[in-house]
Amino acid sequence: MSTIIVQAVVSGIVTGCIYALVALSLVIIFKTTDVVNFGGGEFVMVGSFLALFALVYLGVGYALALLLAAVAMFALGVTFDAVTMNRIGGRLYTRQTELVPTIVATIGLSYLLKGIVRVVPYTEEPRRIPPLFNAPPIFVGDVVIQAQDVVIVVATTLIMIGLWAFFRFTMAGRALRAISQNARAACLSGMPVRTLRMVVWGLSAGIAAVAGVLFAPKLLITPDSGTLVMFAFAAAIVGGFTSLPGCVVGGIVLGVTQNLVGVLIAPQAISVTPFFIIMVVLLLRPQGLFGDAIALKKV
Amino acid sequence: MFGSPTLRQLAPLLALVLGALALQQLLPQYFLYVGNLLMMYVILVIGLDLLIGWSGQFAFAHIAFFGIGIYATTILGTRYDLPFLIAMPVAAMLAGAVGFLIAFPATRLRAVYLALATFAFAECAQWVARTWDSVTKGADGLQIPPTSILGYAVGNDQHAFPVVAIILALVLAATLYLQRSRFARSMSAIRESEHVASASGIDVKRVKILSFTLSAIYAGVAGGVYTLFNSFVNPDILGVAQLVLVLTMLVVGGSGSIAGCVLGAVLIGILPEVLRAAPRSMLVWQEFFYGLILVLAIMFMPRGFFGAWQAWRDRARHAADKRDAQASQDTRLRAKASTEASS
Repeated sequence: MSTIIVQAVVSGIVTGCIYALVALSLVIIFKTTDVVNFGGGEFVMVGSFLALFALVYLGVGYALALLLAAVAMFALGVTFDAVTMNRIGGRLYTRQTELVPTIVATIGLSYLLKGIVRVVPYTEEPRRIPPLFNAPPIFVGDVVIQAQDVVIVVATTLIMIGLWAFFRFTMAGRALRAISQNARAACLSGMPVRTLRMVVWGLSAGIAAVAGVLFAPKLLITPDSGTLVMFAFAAAIVGGFTSLPGCVVGGIVLGVTQNLVGVLIAPQAISVTPFFIIMVVLLLRPQGLFGDAIALKKV
Repeated sequence: MFGSPTLRQLAPLLALVLGALALQQLLPQYFLYVGNLLMMYVILVIGLDLLIGWSGQFAFAHIAFFGIGIYATTILGTRYDLPFLIAMPVAAMLAGAVGFLIAFPATRLRAVYLALATFAFAECAQWVARTWDSVTKGADGLQIPPTSILGYAVGNDQHAFPVVAIILALVLAATLYLQRSRFARSMSAIRESEHVASASGIDVKRVKILSFTLSAIYAGVAGGVYTLFNSFVNPDILGVAQLVLVLTMLVVGGSGSIAGCVLGAVLIGILPEVLRAAPRSMLVWQEFFYGLILVLAIMFMPRGFFGAWQAWRDRARHAADKRDAQASQDTRLRAKASTEASS
């Protein structure tokens, strides 16, 4: 029994890392533009399909496919912000972003992407991307760790560190932090707010694509894989919705909880776990584990 | 109350009922089905508009209340042999009661947190419908037997058509009265600014909870209407797709106005039927079209078709006023010139 639980915890951490990556892609957008991207899951799904097509049709290597998918998704994110969000949020420079139009637009985006993928041939059946390494699984006692699991954890850590460094040390990252605190003041002090927002959307889509490519070997990809976004929302909410480390902690908490629920309570309850967690956290501690007071005042 | 609805507003409702009675025999069964469906959507959309358009609370739980309405009406009818005229109001009240209960915690949340919490609630509701086998028969779904209203058997779309029209007319009339109430003004005040509203003596929390409850009751009524012309329900009806459909109707039609809701429900509700008539290869594009319509509508008509039409009408009226003013000025000048010339 204890082995099963340890195994559940280990694989929970791995799926939690994927949730964390997707949650990061949502949170960086929310922090800087006050937009909640309901199409985040479709970014993941489209990213993994793009990588799959690059692998199959272009015959490129794994690393190049990952890169191509990430770059293509970056472009998609930038385009969506430039074309749609810019127009809707005519007043995005001010504190108050109108909620309903932005949410409706991102829901529209999610249907749009899902619809496009569905009409592309070759997507009717669930697909799988081969894992990055075909190394044999590692045994720690009775617990099995797949090579892909190690890749996922390492990649998440690297992206996390990269994002932290980006927001800490680069000019663009610091400008983005300024924008998230006060967009109008940032604009007045000469920061190219509009461009930076496009960069954030691109970055978010790029991270989502990486998450999709990493995730695809573990689960099958279908046009409906975008529902993954709800797990990411749950992870982000546990972490406070504005905190980057919070996403990672929230993702892992969610992944582990989900697996333990599956083992200890009932497998049917797995699918409802994230929603239950969202409700409980929002009711009892809306600021999450790491959300700051400003974040609460902000909305 | 700020006056009562004008005759011009109430007359179409009478026309709706009379028209339904007249068309009941004329239209083919399929058109009657689409008509029933559209009228149900109008009730559903107006209920959602109470929250989103009127009081500015972005809540996603609407479809869960719709599901409660459907399941409760069916179960009350089959297990407890209650007639529809009792089962439907009880089901609507039940939906309202659940709405009332979740409103207490929900009104503490704002903006996007409210959206996410209610979204999670809707997903939980779907999960309950799927797993609570002893009551909802799980994913297999429930059969809805034909019902009868005061001896009038409602077995198919043709029978249901006038009944649905009457319910819709009553709901619309109630909404017209509601629109002129003090309560509606309080909701708009909260939408514009909660601080100002509470400073003006509006009990913000109470109004929010009431609007949640009312919106849930509308959804419950729509659920009861669903049972009149459908013979089957399963948990898929509580899904995100359904929610997005209703939201699309609201956005495309124009939130905040009854006419906009009706317009949106008809335009978007008829779309799947039109696509069904199109070749089969078009069917896979359905999701894409919904997405495209949503994005384009919110980009170019943020207040929906109705809002766009209003803006166009105002502009036209403004231009006409300007033209009139110009014209009268011209005649005045000409008159002045002619008097000067003659003197």
